[in-house]
Amino acid sequence: MTKFIIRRLLLAIPTLLGVTFFVFLSLRLVPGDPAIALAGELATPELIQQVREELGLDQPIPVQYANYVFRMVQGDMGQSIRSRLPVTEEIQQRLPRTLTLASVSLLVSSMIGIPIGVFAATRPNSWFDGGSMIFALLGISMPIFWLGLMLMILFSVLIPQWFGLAGPLLPPTGSGTWQHLVMPVIALAANSMALQSRMTRSCMMEVLREDYIRTARAKGQRERIVIYRHALRNAMLPIVTIIGLQFGTLLGGAVLTETVFAWPGIGRLLVDAIGFRDYPIIQGTVLVIAVGFVLTNLIVDVLYAYLDPRIQHR
Amino acid sequence: MKRRIPLFLAVILVASVFFVAWQPSAEAQDMKTLTIASGTDIENTDIHTVTSSPSFSVLEHIYEPLFEMTEEGDLEPLLAESITASGDTSYTIELRQGVTFSDGSAFNAEVAKANLDYVLDAENGAVFRFLVVVGGEPATVEVVDEYTIEITTSIPFAPLPAHLSHGALAMVAPAELEQGAEFMATNAIGTGPYVLTEWNRAEEVILDRNPNYWGEAPAIDRVIFKVIPEAGARIVEVEAGTVDVAVRVPPADIARLEANPNVDVVVTPGLRTIYIFFNVTEPPFDDVRVRQAVNYAVDKQAIAESLFDGAARVSDAPIPPAVFGYAAQEPYARDVERARELLAEAGIEEGTTVTLYHPTERYPQDALVADAVRAQLAEVGLDVELRTLEWPQYVPHVRREQPENDIQFAMLGWGTVTMDADYGLFALFHSSEHPPGFNGAFYTNPDVDALLDEARSTLDSEARQAAYADAISIIWEDAPWLFLYSEIQVTAIRNNVSGFVVHPDESLIATYADIEE
Repeated sequence: MTKFIIRRLLLAIPTLLGVTFFVFLSLRLVPGDPAIALAGELATPELIQQVREELGLDQPIPVQYANYVFRMVQGDMGQSIRSRLPVTEEIQQRLPRTLTLASVSLLVSSMIGIPIGVFAATRPNSWFDGGSMIFALLGISMPIFWLGLMLMILFSVLIPQWFGLAGPLLPPTGSGTWQHLVMPVIALAANSMALQSRMTRSCMMEVLREDYIRTARAKGQRERIVIYRHALRNAMLPIVTIIGLQFGTLLGGAVLTETVFAWPGIGRLLVDAIGFRDYPIIQGTVLVIAVGFVLTNLIVDVLYAYLDPRIQHR
Repeated sequence: MKRRIPLFLAVILVASVFFVAWQPSAEAQDMKTLTIASGTDIENTDIHTVTSSPSFSVLEHIYEPLFEMTEEGDLEPLLAESITASGDTSYTIELRQGVTFSDGSAFNAEVAKANLDYVLDAENGAVFRFLVVVGGEPATVEVVDEYTIEITTSIPFAPLPAHLSHGALAMVAPAELEQGAEFMATNAIGTGPYVLTEWNRAEEVILDRNPNYWGEAPAIDRVIFKVIPEAGARIVEVEAGTVDVAVRVPPADIARLEANPNVDVVVTPGLRTIYIFFNVTEPPFDDVRVRQAVNYAVDKQAIAESLFDGAARVSDAPIPPAVFGYAAQEPYARDVERARELLAEAGIEEGTTVTLYHPTERYPQDALVADAVRAQLAEVGLDVELRTLEWPQYVPHVRREQPENDIQFAMLGWGTVTMDADYGLFALFHSSEHPPGFNGAFYTNPDVDALLDEARSTLDSEARQAAYADAISIIWEDAPWLFLYSEIQVTAIRNNVSGFVVHPDESLIATYADIEE
């Protein structure tokens, strides 16, 4: 297993190099000049040229890329064009926030979503099954943006009004306390929970029709054990895959939630940087997101072996 | 059971991380705190490299320039006491005595010179260096005595004090200046009423009262600029009372907020004018009748009402009213008949195609405004093709030099940040400023040139005002632009807050504010 992990980590290096190369190249192919964005509408051509030289943008693209990779392996991801602060510092500030939001929402969503799916699968066509699947459909269909604002109005304006509270029940935006986490987590979890419960339900229903489940029941195993040990464990493989993918996506993609709730995460950093053609920040964040994806995939693969001992990683 | 334990532990672990790491910071409850919901974070704390108004809003509480432009457009001394012309191109500035920086160091002529020299040194990359580069030549600064400096420019330059009032030319403590740009990007030591306490990137900037401030002490102990990018969320915050001020209220929310008894909606004219310039050297817009026809054809009032819910002011001059030198003209009211007559006189056939360039997501509703212009020009027989470019590409494209510049007309905005007409008119209408300058219309009128030159050469504000009024009236008649509107800032303020200033230059000033608990 250790050998497998090491091999996978080594394989990640060319993957990540490829990511940096494509991001680097595509940024240079997109029209728009960060020197102009930086110098602003007040800039003279001389100032723009000076900024361009300062940023090294006057050099040929292969030279720029070589410089970039050379500095990166030394741990220097460059300096943000907009804030003029080191990229590593900018990312260090944002990454923990994104990780917190992503992991808490996934934890909450799987702690609710998976049991709902199991429950629905074991009682197909019951009112609970129908109800939970309508709930799931709602969760998938509600735009996070809209849900976020509705939650905010409910918890921060309406509920205090109805009950005559002095202040809002939950702080509408920002981060810093666990209260700040509640609404963004609900908004994010609503969506991933829906997907997880639907996935669990269909996988469980499939597994429950398998011969070994019939065997387990036939030998008089308690239903609880049949469902949780025999069925769920086997149904978990695709669910773990989905959760892994969701986590990877949340690392870079919780932009809407981060924007609505003014959550200072990495998604907002990236989107702001794209608008400003802040090359070093874009390159840095995409790289971090890619690393996150690679690591998540690795963890998912390791979990496979744990869930299904027949899978041997060599 | 075996498998439950790791899960259980994980939950406990995550939960404990929260309760430890996310403890609310021990905030002093007895502090008078004013929280401002800003749309954007500051870029950094180096006054020489930031360009956005949210950055200046924060930093102008910490740093002070030599002069200040009040929200009424009056130029007043701040760290200076007076300015006098000591020759045709030399200006003597007496500095305020007894001012110290928040690190205890003294402010004097040497420090003022060091600050201006830092900006003037092109190596340092100060974005607003052009404010002290006059007639193409950098100004020079001499120390006369401990509290007097003399600034010499290559040409007579009356707008100098207005330029010196810009936040980017504020005075930075010598200890900080010596450490260089990297240090200044995260540290701020100034002479202002507040000091920088904390900057949590993309979240908030916390300022606390400077106990050793040389001027009158502000009533608010702590000012928090909280970054909330989404306008809807800012509105919820101000309604919930979790912030005291919310910037950039979307026009659609104005009515709802006005109905809220706890919130006041404050409307402030801005400094940015939105316009569409014509290339006056190429047909069809080389004919003044065609340019006037377009001005008559477009219903600016309808654009302001339908696209901005009234939060835009129809232009009656090329510069907005808050700017020194503004002189109101008779707006080109919508007159389709008149426009058609003028086009016919100029020999423009029905269905002539013209191409309009416009940016998108740069100015509020920019693409929608361009489309409204297209629709209204169709009514007078001009067939407008729209071309959209993203901002970083847009400016270099529409401001190319002749002859490769094939722009017929294009939308832009211009903020007269110094609040002096020189900045709003010279760069845009003087014939010496053709691209690569900012006169993208390639507009040339010797009378306008002479008036703009004259207004630069005297400190006599009445004479300057008169020259600008004449220049504006000629420009209005020549119509090198389709004059559109100037932006209006809409701010929501809790009604227990008094004295809060929303400056036309988009600065938010908490220094004179108070809050009733």
